[in-house]
Amino acid sequence: MSWLPVWIALGAIPGALCRHYMILFCTQQWGNHFPWGTFIVNLSGAILMGFCTTIIDNNIPWLNGLVAIGFIASYTTFSSYALDTSRLWQQKRYKLGLLYFIGSALAGFLGVELGIFTAELVHHG
Amino acid sequence: MYWWLSMSWTVLRSPVAIALAAVAGALSRYYVSLGVNHLVEHLWEPVHHLLGMGLPLSTLVVNVTGCGVMGFAATLCFHPQLQVHPDVRLMLLTGFMSSYTTFSSYELDSARLFAHQQWGTDFLYWAGSGIVGWLCLEGGSWLAHQVHQKFISSRP
Repeated sequence: MSWLPVWIALGAIPGALCRHYMILFCTQQWGNHFPWGTFIVNLSGAILMGFCTTIIDNNIPWLNGLVAIGFIASYTTFSSYALDTSRLWQQKRYKLGLLYFIGSALAGFLGVELGIFTAELVHHG
Repeated sequence: MYWWLSMSWTVLRSPVAIALAAVAGALSRYYVSLGVNHLVEHLWEPVHHLLGMGLPLSTLVVNVTGCGVMGFAATLCFHPQLQVHPDVRLMLLTGFMSSYTTFSSYELDSARLFAHQQWGTDFLYWAGSGIVGWLCLEGGSWLAHQVHQKFISSRP
């Protein structure tokens, strides 16, 4: 029997809770005019994902399960991103909605690249 | 003592609901990904070859289905007539759906396609995930409105 699902579950709990409290904090700080919480969570998660998957050795599946599949993948969320876009659109804030939709995807991509770049810097000195 | 226990339970109830649902969400994501990879390897080999581009289907399927269910669940959970308890909302939406779908794996897949210089596939996956996810969310939301009109609001 593989213990991987257990590691994933252990990572998912802090991942989801970090996301929840991070989004609460951002909403308290900046209000809900713009979904800053989901944006910051997804961007920071993308940077972490790039960094951690580059650093973590592929020969250690449990660590990959705990950190990448468990923690970071649960920390970030695709469905809330789509839901936020849909809400901005429903509020007829089309420009802001489109900016959030494209901006998140673009920032996330650059975030992963930044994470990989940093990991390689750390790794090779 | 009992007072303290009940106090801590009201404080702890939301995070416990999120944590339990997050485990279910993350494991569902893991097993759905495994299933999709299995299908792609065994059943859809001709289709896969026909497409001829290592499209990361497992993450795509997870995110797109997650968006559809999210649209459905969020519409019903936030419906003023239904009065869903906030902890149930946290459990279903923040706990389960948000852990089931993943933004970071999507961007990682995208960066990997980019690194392998599969520009066309990368752009298709990168832009397609967002657009199809959004459409599925609207579809789920529409379905929830239909279900609500037909089965819930007509209830005596």
